[in-house]
Amino acid sequence: MKSMEEKGGNQHIRRFGPYRIVEHLALIVIFLVLAMTGLPQKFYHLGISQSVIVILGGIDNLRLLHHLSAMLFIGLAAEHVIVNFVGVTFMDWEPSMLVTLKDAQDSFQNVRYYLGLTHEPAGCGRYTYKEKGIYWFVLIGSVQMIITGLVLWFPVAFTRYLPGIFVPLSKMVHTSEAMLIFMLVVTWHIYDSMLNPDVFPINKSIFTGYIGTRQMKRLHPMESATLREEGSADQVDRSIPV
Amino acid sequence: MKRSKGIVAAALVLSLAIGPACGVNQGFAQEEPCAVLNRECLACHGRDDAVKKFADGSVVKTYIDSQSFAKSVHASLSCHDCHQDFTVTSHPERSFRSRLQYRTVESRRCRQCHPDDVIGARSIHETLLRKEKSGEAIICTNCHSAHMMSRVGAGSAAKSETKHCLACHSREKVKKFVNGETVSTFVTPGDILNSPHKDIGCTDCHSDFSSARHPDNRYGSEREYRHSSAGMCRRCHYDKYAMVAENIHNAMLSAGRLDAPTCVDCHGTHSISSLGNDRLSIVRKCAACHKEVYSAYSRSVHGGALFNGNNRDVAICTDCHTSHNMQAISSIDFHDDIPDRCSNCHSNPVIMGKYGLSTDVVKTYLSDFHGMTLSLYRKETWKHYGPPPAMAVCTDCHGTHDIARVSGSDIGQMKIKLMKRCASCHPGASENFPDAWLSHYRPSFGVAPMVFITEQFYRIMLPLTITGILFLVLLDIWRYFRSR
Repeated sequence: MKSMEEKGGNQHIRRFGPYRIVEHLALIVIFLVLAMTGLPQKFYHLGISQSVIVILGGIDNLRLLHHLSAMLFIGLAAEHVIVNFVGVTFMDWEPSMLVTLKDAQDSFQNVRYYLGLTHEPAGCGRYTYKEKGIYWFVLIGSVQMIITGLVLWFPVAFTRYLPGIFVPLSKMVHTSEAMLIFMLVVTWHIYDSMLNPDVFPINKSIFTGYIGTRQMKRLHPMESATLREEGSADQVDRSIPV
Repeated sequence: MKRSKGIVAAALVLSLAIGPACGVNQGFAQEEPCAVLNRECLACHGRDDAVKKFADGSVVKTYIDSQSFAKSVHASLSCHDCHQDFTVTSHPERSFRSRLQYRTVESRRCRQCHPDDVIGARSIHETLLRKEKSGEAIICTNCHSAHMMSRVGAGSAAKSETKHCLACHSREKVKKFVNGETVSTFVTPGDILNSPHKDIGCTDCHSDFSSARHPDNRYGSEREYRHSSAGMCRRCHYDKYAMVAENIHNAMLSAGRLDAPTCVDCHGTHSISSLGNDRLSIVRKCAACHKEVYSAYSRSVHGGALFNGNNRDVAICTDCHTSHNMQAISSIDFHDDIPDRCSNCHSNPVIMGKYGLSTDVVKTYLSDFHGMTLSLYRKETWKHYGPPPAMAVCTDCHGTHDIARVSGSDIGQMKIKLMKRCASCHPGASENFPDAWLSHYRPSFGVAPMVFITEQFYRIMLPLTITGILFLVLLDIWRYFRSR
């Protein structure tokens, strides 16, 4: 586990290490900049988009900002994939984000729960099937966004090897996929980690690195149980890189 | 005026006694005495079939319209008062070289009652008197008429003003400019009467002139004079003048280019016309200076239809360049406005419908990279960031004056041309590059099916996903509170 610490009389469990915290913070910042500079391009005819464009110094500056943050995003995505691939493959990190049969069972269990067929919601591990779902959705979407974004950024270079139609196709994918990811984040992710009555007003664990024991039990009952079995506060969590 | 031929019965005494005081009613006759005398003259001069012949063959009718005379300022005079050689008993035979000589001689009689120092107080007379000294005859009746004389400057001026001016300006004369150029002062009355200006008088435009004033304005050259005439038009057409003041022609003029056109160069002078409906004429007016453009235009799809079929829908010069506030084509503003100019017709379903052309061309342009960027550039207050680079607009691909029909053209040739155009802004563009532009087509199964299918996929996926998530959120909240 999971170092346990005493904080204000409430037991806290260490859930995320500094690497995950910084990675998530970087993702928030880059995501917001990309959305702020990307959405006005998609909805350029709206007054608010034009205000943003003017404030940021015109469409050319907006695009520059979009490209710069896209470079950071590519860096972040590459770092994430490489570090975690190496971690899981060679350093024996727990592949806690991999989708397993258990996730299918959990989602099925929750359908029954929602339908009132059972009173027990699915007991999830370190990451719930919902968290895994959005993680993989965003990760695969990001790859799509990066490839199509590069085509739009360097159309002359790409059309040396690809038919010209890939440019409008990339535009269609880029703009639509962006919308899908954006909507998914502002609806599901914001609900799940902020508005959800279980965590309202906000689940701070990704920022502080700690989660309260009660919340841990409620949100991640399986992992919570594992921790209790292991019972050791000194054991280093392999899923938390230093 | 005309000479009486009739020998009149009424006594000479009577006419002598009444004399110039004819207007005073002396009470010894039932009718006014001068009226009696005049009636004697009119016995012959009331007939409209008699003429007086001059040596050069010209003739003048001897007919007098007594009713008009009775309304004139001289109504109280008798014929004899002016035609002093003539009485009821005396009707001398006189001969003149010409009608002009006759009029000149007769005009001297006017000045017996209207001495030079009195009439000279008016500047028009002053000018005439000055000219007389240099040998030019003064003919009063040119302006004042003979038997219907009216006070030109008082009330009745407007009616007879045109006549008044035409008295001189219907003759071939020239005005000289300082550089030796001349311009004819001849005015064909029909020109004005057939123009939209038929109801306004000469001095409405030539406002520093009147029946009393005829200043001798001096201009360096004919062009200088024509440019100065723009000031006349401004008095009424101020809206046009304001536009012209900012146009490229006026900028040329400000830079000293007197060959720049002004109002009258396009609209004409006395035969002025609005040009509004005559599209062919408008093109030809511009062609007078812009010959190369004209020849390119005549080969274009627009020009061809205009010249060969007198098609009234096709764009002519003024549709793109406007008629009065035409801008320099090199200005970024003009370039950036081009999609608007094209869309005036190419977004109009009524016009495009006639020729089976798509009205989507402007929309598809505006929704793509160039159009979108351009529309944003135009809204930016780029003063703070410097001028934006030029974005490709309609004419950058289709050409300007030599614009050609797209349908039916050789696609291969077009692609090669297009690639060159692309490469002028996108160095290194390959032959695939132009295909990045869907040629104004919206994606469909026929055109860019991959793009179309992707579009439809997301069109379904996006609302479906969001609705699903909102449903899950509500379900989650509902279940949470239910299970508490």
